[in-house]
Amino acid sequence: MSEPFREQMLRSPSRRELLSRCGMGLGSMAFATLLGDAGLLTAAARGAETASMVNPLAARPAPFRPRAKRVVHFFLNGGPSHVDTFDPKPALQKFAGQPLPGGSLRTERKTGGALPSPFKFKKYGQSGIEVSDLFPRLAQCIDDVAVIRSMKAEVPNHEPSLMLMNCGDQQMARPSVGAWVTYGLGTENQNLPGFIAMSPGGYPIKEAENWQSGFLPGVYQGTFVDPQQPTLDKLIENIRNPRIPRERQHAQLDLLHALNVEHQQSKRRADPQLEARVQSFELAYRMQSEAAEAFDFASEPQNIRQLYGDSVHGRQALIARRLLERGVRYVQLWHGASQPWDSHDNIGPNHSRLAREADQPIAALLTDLKQRGMLEDTLVLIGGEFGRTPVVEGGTGRDHNPYGFTVLLAGGGVRGGSVYGATDDFGFQAVEKPVHVHDLHATMLYLLGFDHERFTYRYAGRDFRLTDVYGKVIHGVIA
Amino acid sequence: MVLSTVLICCAASRAVGGDLWALKPVQDPPVPDVSLQAWPRTPIDRFILARLEAAGLEPSPEADKRTLIRRATYDLLGLPPTQEQVRAFEDDASPTGFEKVVDRLLASPQYGERWGRYWLDLARYSDTKGYVYDREATRFVHAHTYRDWVIRAFNQDLPYDQFLLRQIAADKLPADACANDADDNSDLAAMGFLTVGRRFLGVTYDIIDDRIDAVVRTTQALTVACARCHDHKFDPIPTEDYYSLYGVFAGTSERLMPIHSPLASRSPRFAEYEKGLKEREAKLDAFFNSAKADLCARLRARTSDYLQAVLRADKLHTEIFYTIVAKDDLNPVIVRQWQAYLFQAGKRFDPIFAPWTALAAVPADQFASRAPQLIHEVTADARLNPVVAKAFADAAPTSMSDVAKIYGKLFAEVDQAWATALKAAATQSLPDPNQEALRQVLYAADAPTSIPPGSVSDMEWFFDEETRVKLQQLQAEIEKWDLDPAAPEFALILQDRAVQSNARVFKRGNPADRGAEVPRRYLRAVLGEDRKPFTSGSGRLELARAIADRNNPLTARVMVNRIWLHHFGAGIVRTPSDFGTRADPPSHPELLDWLAMRFMEPAASGHAWSVKALHRMIMLSAVYRQSSDDDAPGRDAARTAADPENRLLFRFNRQRLDFESMRDSLLAATDELDLTLGGAPSDLASTRRSVYALVDRRFLPGVLRAFDFANPDLHIPQRSSTTVPQQALFFLNSAFVMDRARALAHRPDVQRITPPRDRIDKLYRLIYQRPPTSHQVDEAVQFIEAPPAPTPAAPTRTTGAGDWQYGYGAYDAVAQRVTGFKKLPYFTGDAWQGGSNWPDAKLGWARLTAEGGHAGNDLQHAVVRRWAAPRDGAIAISGRVVHEYEAGDGIRALLVCNRGGLLASWTLHNQSADANFSPVPVKQGDTVDFVVDFRNNLNNDMFTWATQIKFVGAGGGEWDARKDFSGAPTDASGPLDPWELYVQVLLCSNEFHFID
Repeated sequence: MSEPFREQMLRSPSRRELLSRCGMGLGSMAFATLLGDAGLLTAAARGAETASMVNPLAARPAPFRPRAKRVVHFFLNGGPSHVDTFDPKPALQKFAGQPLPGGSLRTERKTGGALPSPFKFKKYGQSGIEVSDLFPRLAQCIDDVAVIRSMKAEVPNHEPSLMLMNCGDQQMARPSVGAWVTYGLGTENQNLPGFIAMSPGGYPIKEAENWQSGFLPGVYQGTFVDPQQPTLDKLIENIRNPRIPRERQHAQLDLLHALNVEHQQSKRRADPQLEARVQSFELAYRMQSEAAEAFDFASEPQNIRQLYGDSVHGRQALIARRLLERGVRYVQLWHGASQPWDSHDNIGPNHSRLAREADQPIAALLTDLKQRGMLEDTLVLIGGEFGRTPVVEGGTGRDHNPYGFTVLLAGGGVRGGSVYGATDDFGFQAVEKPVHVHDLHATMLYLLGFDHERFTYRYAGRDFRLTDVYGKVIHGVIA
Repeated sequence: MVLSTVLICCAASRAVGGDLWALKPVQDPPVPDVSLQAWPRTPIDRFILARLEAAGLEPSPEADKRTLIRRATYDLLGLPPTQEQVRAFEDDASPTGFEKVVDRLLASPQYGERWGRYWLDLARYSDTKGYVYDREATRFVHAHTYRDWVIRAFNQDLPYDQFLLRQIAADKLPADACANDADDNSDLAAMGFLTVGRRFLGVTYDIIDDRIDAVVRTTQALTVACARCHDHKFDPIPTEDYYSLYGVFAGTSERLMPIHSPLASRSPRFAEYEKGLKEREAKLDAFFNSAKADLCARLRARTSDYLQAVLRADKLHTEIFYTIVAKDDLNPVIVRQWQAYLFQAGKRFDPIFAPWTALAAVPADQFASRAPQLIHEVTADARLNPVVAKAFADAAPTSMSDVAKIYGKLFAEVDQAWATALKAAATQSLPDPNQEALRQVLYAADAPTSIPPGSVSDMEWFFDEETRVKLQQLQAEIEKWDLDPAAPEFALILQDRAVQSNARVFKRGNPADRGAEVPRRYLRAVLGEDRKPFTSGSGRLELARAIADRNNPLTARVMVNRIWLHHFGAGIVRTPSDFGTRADPPSHPELLDWLAMRFMEPAASGHAWSVKALHRMIMLSAVYRQSSDDDAPGRDAARTAADPENRLLFRFNRQRLDFESMRDSLLAATDELDLTLGGAPSDLASTRRSVYALVDRRFLPGVLRAFDFANPDLHIPQRSSTTVPQQALFFLNSAFVMDRARALAHRPDVQRITPPRDRIDKLYRLIYQRPPTSHQVDEAVQFIEAPPAPTPAAPTRTTGAGDWQYGYGAYDAVAQRVTGFKKLPYFTGDAWQGGSNWPDAKLGWARLTAEGGHAGNDLQHAVVRRWAAPRDGAIAISGRVVHEYEAGDGIRALLVCNRGGLLASWTLHNQSADANFSPVPVKQGDTVDFVVDFRNNLNNDMFTWATQIKFVGAGGGEWDARKDFSGAPTDASGPLDPWELYVQVLLCSNEFHFID
């Protein structure tokens, strides 16, 4: 494809208009047909796709060969410390309590001297990558993981950094990665939302902005689910009807269908808007049972439930696998409400507890995806919005650190058992092959079959990209 | 005949660069000649027909009368016509029948609610601020006043130029032309257009960007915000123009103004409100003033450090890089204030800073060689302040850092002299005028060491973290108090600052990297190269006038296109907020200009810039009255092939109801719609019109998103129109739709009719404004009379359900009882809570479910599950309270009996406790309260508390909180009967949701 994603579509003014409103409910042209004409769909897929007219969530192939088809993102919100987990810095011991040679970078709060990690690092797997004893189970999967030790963001504050990690911009209302991906690929299962964000106990800070659709149509916004909610209808709005038995509802739908067919026949021309609305009721009816089934983790065999562990974090990872298996495009799993990993004090006990909660579910999902053959086309991202300082805050904690931190990638197209980039001797700053958050996004899009520079959406006179005017694909983490 | 789409659409030539069609003056084109003389009703039709004929196409016949009145009523009011209105129109054989309908609709107060909402989409309207810190108030107190002003302006047909002027600069205009009262300042509410945007955590650059974007895209359809970082890639908008506008908004500060309006009635509790307000304001003022005085003293004492910092200003962090500053940290905001001061001083020979200016221009590596000569020259200048001259004559600085130290020392000496002078005697100035001139640098009203006047929100960044938090808390106290129903209405206005300065370009959008200064003035693209700088205050009124100007080529075209868009479902220009080079050219450029000309002229019925006159002109045309469905077999397919998007308007576009029309139509069908105008935001579960529902940009309800409601964070010129199963789920399963089905089935005028076939006929007329076909009656009867499904198992409620109440209140430790118990007002089907949104705007997170719940936001909002004893006896209470979160500080659980007082209390943080007591004596009517509050802070205060109560001894009786849990005591949320199920289907149908 020689022209940018948008440009091809823009050659016909009709297409541009359709795309700017995302092609829904607008006369005779279907979004899928549109993508097909733009060369985004293979000829074989086109036939199948045109059937799902006017559905903005219809699955569509990526423009380039994808290495991954779906994404799961463990968001360790609050900022996990890289020097205590995946980026060992023995030099901190030498300067314990002393100012770092070369000084400290400015972060949100006042910091002091070097704080050596209270955790032990050990080499794991064939690759011999060092992982601290905070993540013993995840460490067993390290040969499937690419450890990016040279991440960087912009500022040492949660709000803008969450926005940068999720939406590629620190302040303005922009679509989240999940919204972009769902816009680009649709979703494989029309009976479930295409993009689901889960967080036990409630919203993280910045709330729904983290999974917003920004200027994209609202259908691409993440659907929020609190896995702690006891009943299904609290998980997904209007998913069941306590007042109408299923048989009666079926009869209602039969009558509705008859009325809609009569209505359509009274018109002198076929109108895909009318047809789409008829179909949406059929979908909704099926969605009720399918969603209930997808969230019913209790139906998993005992050994699988044990693998994930009997905890809310285990539960949500297990639900995530069930969702991915059923064709959900993008699942984001937050560690919890507010910002649990934000260990400004007592980093030892706090990180121990948090890692205990996170380790088994992450390892379980990697293992489970692998044993089902799904890891090879599922992209797994594990990390926070930034890392933490190698220097102490208030005696026992660490402050926020956007200058250097670690994220993990695994699965579809990722070079497992590799380490990419490095921070300085103390872990304060990415110095070797720095990877900006924009680069991470470019790489994720690449793995999903998009060129981040051509994957655009026209809004307010500009063709917006997830990566704005930045980003380069990090080929070093790609298998 | 098949025409290429491309040929049709490119009839208007695509302009390039400075040749943009939209920037050329509006023309008054001649009305074209057409062949089909019988069709046109108005000149509009001739423009449309000329294009159709050129493409070899024919228009469609006129729609039938029912379709037409339904279309017009939805179009202008967002509501269906009544069956009587349909009948009256069908029976009116006069040629002016439709005209009468349009005039009646335009005079309806519901018109402003429909068209005002389109404007609110452009104005990124929200009742809340977006993400804020916990210490801040989340609600805007002024937003709904703006919403009501917009609705009123549409209803009163306020001339569009006036409408714009007021939204940008009402504070600088004489009071509303429509007002009869000199004290009436209700027009200030219009400025909500500028102030209902997101708060961006207080980052000024982003707040101003949002305001520029809202103003220019809404009124001019130019995407000026693209020029924030670089010249616009496609349109003639240089980055300097962005900063010209930036300077205008940077010269303003916010001010909350109470509205005085003869329309407003004063609450009997007003005195109480006012007293509380004064107390809160006094607290804030006292703290603010002392914080300011303290800060200014600190800043003066650190002049040397700040001057040093100016030298590295480009390395400074901006507000988005938020560091928790302590009192003695250098504050980047103050550094930039010094930087701006020195920049201004450098424009002329400044008697104090001339040496600074001269030396700062020298590259660092030449400083040593060139400084002595420069110092010699500048100190020889008679205009230089002798005190400064002396300081430099004695010094040999080797770098700018040394220069900063010299000034620092000078200012320290002057400040010391001033302190000494004040101790000696009360005085206004230092005796030595040269020293006094130096003192003025630190003490003048606009000194770089001062805090400019303004509200807390304008200057929180000047302070250290601790002070900032305290200021925001005190400010939040006031804002929360202002939500009291006894409070007056408010307008949040921008007012010009006393001192104005131009903005400097932020290179690549980076506020730390300042480029050239640019005058405050309007866009080159509109006014040309020789446009004049603004001269009055910030220039905001001049900006407004440049927009609301007959000669502005964009203003009228943009609004005409917006109105056309909402009538036809698509604009003449398809990108209503982008008339730039990359937009499609208009499908009918001459028509757009002709309409823009008519819009700016005084209408036959009255004034110029009349939006209502424009509606009338458009709706009386033949093109508006066309059928959306053709009747000639074969012709339609050919036309669709030739013009698949119907850009030439050979038929009317079928349109689906938007969220507001959909919801309002449901309430209209049931006759529940509350047509009260204006006021504080209502709940989506209420029966008020949808335009009044709370718009919370932070927690936008899922139903709004599912139905393509405008994203309140962004200017939305046209909503998406998606079809997704979540919409269908809402219709199949939501309590709102089922309740409407029930209400409609139980309308007295429906219930009164007993023969099923007649009742079905009535329902059709109420819902679709037409009678059913006999086939439709047959299938309805069949549905209603079908034998009930074999599982009629209605949800079983134990008889004990009525003995429980679900509420909130406070635990009074002295009296050992719950005080202020009130019932939670809203039942979701699974939980009792404050409203349909959770958290609720008033009652926050307070919630009770079958299993447990969530404590409210403070100790006054402990959640209370109350059991009342139906008889005398002794009971056994059993159960377990569980809190299972590490984060936060846990909860406090209390078991309180009105007879025995406190039975037990637990503080639980990721812990659980058994709550078993027996026997507990009770008399009939006694209450046992299961109370949970948030302990000390609001963080993860969810809990479970499954409890059972059992009478011990004879008589028996058992209650189980989980099993007994229920909604409203009436059966309103029970299963639906066949008629209700049938009505629900009618409300789901396509016929209800599409306008032909």
